[in-house]
Amino acid sequence: MTHLVLDKLNLAYGKSAAVTDLNLSVAQGQLISLLGPSGCGKTTTMRAVAGLLRPVSGRIVLAGEDITQRPVHQRDMGLVFQSYALFPHLSAYDNVAFGLRLRKVAAAELDQRVRSAIASVGLQGFESRLPANLSGGQQQRVAVARAIVLRPRLLLLDEPLSNLDALLRVEMRAELRRIQRELGITMLYVTHDQEEALSLSDRIVVMRDGRIEQDDSPEAVYHHPATPFVATFMGYQNLFDWHDGALCAGDARVPLAVQRPARHLAWRPEHVAVGAPGSGTLDGRVLARSYLGERIEFLVHTALGPVKGCADLSAGWREGADVGVRLDPAQAALI
Amino acid sequence: MLVLALVFLLGPFIVVFVAGFSGDDTLRFPPQQFSLRWLIQVFTVEAFQRSFVTSIVVALGSTLLALALGVPVAYALSRFRLPGAEAVRLLLTLPLIVPGIIVGLALLNHGVLALNLPVTLSLLIGHTTLLIPYAVRVVSSSLANLRVDIDDAAVTLGATRLQAFFKVVLPNIRGGVAAAFVLAFITSFNQVPVSLFLTGPGVSTLPIEMMAYMETSYDPSIAALSTLLVVFTIVLVAGTEKLLGISKYL
Amino acid sequence: MHRRLAWLLLAPALLFIALLFMAPVLALLAGAFRIDGAWALSPLITFFDEPLHREVYWRTLRIAGLATLTSALVCYPAALAMVRVPPPWRGLLTGLVILPLMVSPIARTYSWIVLLGRNGFFNALLQGLGLSDEPLKLLFTEGAVFVGLLQLMMPLMLLSLVSALENLPADVLAAAATLGANRWQAFAKVVLPLTQEGLIVGGTLVFTGCVTAYITPALLGGPQVLMLETLLYQKVNVMSDPASASVIAVLLLVTTLMVNQLLKRVSK
Repeated sequence: MTHLVLDKLNLAYGKSAAVTDLNLSVAQGQLISLLGPSGCGKTTTMRAVAGLLRPVSGRIVLAGEDITQRPVHQRDMGLVFQSYALFPHLSAYDNVAFGLRLRKVAAAELDQRVRSAIASVGLQGFESRLPANLSGGQQQRVAVARAIVLRPRLLLLDEPLSNLDALLRVEMRAELRRIQRELGITMLYVTHDQEEALSLSDRIVVMRDGRIEQDDSPEAVYHHPATPFVATFMGYQNLFDWHDGALCAGDARVPLAVQRPARHLAWRPEHVAVGAPGSGTLDGRVLARSYLGERIEFLVHTALGPVKGCADLSAGWREGADVGVRLDPAQAALI
Repeated sequence: MLVLALVFLLGPFIVVFVAGFSGDDTLRFPPQQFSLRWLIQVFTVEAFQRSFVTSIVVALGSTLLALALGVPVAYALSRFRLPGAEAVRLLLTLPLIVPGIIVGLALLNHGVLALNLPVTLSLLIGHTTLLIPYAVRVVSSSLANLRVDIDDAAVTLGATRLQAFFKVVLPNIRGGVAAAFVLAFITSFNQVPVSLFLTGPGVSTLPIEMMAYMETSYDPSIAALSTLLVVFTIVLVAGTEKLLGISKYL
Repeated sequence: MHRRLAWLLLAPALLFIALLFMAPVLALLAGAFRIDGAWALSPLITFFDEPLHREVYWRTLRIAGLATLTSALVCYPAALAMVRVPPPWRGLLTGLVILPLMVSPIARTYSWIVLLGRNGFFNALLQGLGLSDEPLKLLFTEGAVFVGLLQLMMPLMLLSLVSALENLPADVLAAAATLGANRWQAFAKVVLPLTQEGLIVGGTLVFTGCVTAYITPALLGGPQVLMLETLLYQKVNVMSDPASASVIAVLLLVTTLMVNQLLKRVSK
């Protein structure tokens, strides 16, 4: 059953529109990512759901209730901020207990719930520490504990991992997924990192300029991007127009047959093979060469424009060398 | 609430402003008639003229002296790690804590009366001690925004410390010094408590003269004078703000 | 070498302050405590024997305290509103708040004379509305001094609070709201504890400013409503009692220092 529904939501900052006619439904217990570049409206949408921004028009419905006009403190949602927003004058324990104390929860139950929440984020023993004495990752976990201890109907997370280093980010990602599964809580997750979205989500909503470009499962978004924007955002760095049986760019035409007609074809660099001239779909000249550890990546100048492709570590071509690139229609995403 | 506070803070200015344009013989509000009569008249009162000049002279003199004494202090405190820095800072805060009236009285008793110092000089001294902390504070904050490296860079390029100061540091803290100048000048010009005991029939500052006048007369002269002072202040502050952008140093 | 240079730079100013400020002031203050050629603290105590003195001291503390409290109550909401104002207007607003501090206190206080005098605005209003037959005595009352001082000192409290509010960590208020706190709870549990240092600084500035004020009590209180500094002035110029004046001077200093220290302790 749909837990959260955003119906024709329009959001603006002053005169400038931030989100236009957004429709979204989320089922109970799902983890949905709002993915997109900065300025696409994902954080704006989240803040509107939390009640920190009033919609220009449209409705927000949670568990069947229209909460569009309800004030922030009555929405029963947890929000984990990008900046964590911990209260600097309160210890970790008191931060987590804040919401419970406002609701006048009895002392024994409060203590039990706070300690259990702190334990579930793996911070036992840190209860009496002030935020200033906690590392970034620890602060983030306190922020999560503070939100989940209230057992909210919906948990909103605004780029919670962006301030952490790479290793910690991967670790915390798994933690968040585990907590979400355990509690069965519906989660709305905002991020600009596509890897994060892919690994966490039940569904990904790719946004751009205040509108939804694609709303689909991670597999679908990854293997079958619906628009050129989604394709390039998800790492298909080679995007070409396709028309009448050939790839086109300006005056250049490279014939290529595909199973069904499409407006664009896109390839990931790892699926474009770089070889000797004449061995591929078209030839070009190497503009740049990068060592990526497992393979060598080449930026090749062709009639269709720059193409990014790969070869194994034995490839010796340097800048300026003539090479051939192979664009395999079977590996292409059809848009 | 904000609007209320602003009205409370600024309303009286408007009142004084309007009252300055009164054409009545005595002070009433709202005025029965409007004219520039009193605004012009105050320029002719001898006591006001004299004390205005004294005020300007003292303000200018004490500001320049305070800057001459204070800028080196600000520079020393920000560039060197000194063991007694805290004590120095405390000493510099004293003139702000000691009520001005005490300073004036002290200088009267032990300066003018005991050492026979001329009154104007005592005024100058009194005002300067009051202004030094302002000068140090404002210039310090603008020095804080200037990296220490640039002095060192200048020195490695062959400049002496003195040259480095004048060619490199000073041009970059121009804004801070200007802000300190304006702040100090205005503080001195408006000063009353320190000047209270140090002035007399011969030498007086404008604010003191105004207060004396108020004791005997009830015409709108003071309102007119206040209006002029308000305009003068606004022009001075706004003008230097436009030219030098000093507000960030205050 | 560097140390020497530093002290060389500091010397003129320090000497100036030491010789031309501290020495005379200390000499003045010391003068109050010599009785028959010996040091004694008794003048400070005997000062309070006189009922007028007690009245003036108490009045000064009372008005200063009230002004401090009122300014805190008024300025908190005002400051909260002010920090929400977007940049171009914020600068203007800040300028408007700072401006009164730059204008001569005489001009600022004078406006109250214009408003509260017998032919002033309020009396004209009251009579115009038919609420009173003859002019009320609004000037030369404690109320007038209170209002004048409040208006003089408020920008200090306002700016102090705005500065403290600006240093609140981002999103902390939003976080409190999402955790279920309404406006009052968020204020009491989050804003207040986190800005209390600003409150203390502002409070200290306002309180000491009121205690050591001269112009406003002189113009709006007159000889009937004496405060410590106007009393001091009287002692010197009118009553030729410089010894008392020195005692008052010490009292002023001690009071301001005590308040400073007290408030510093409270904030810890």
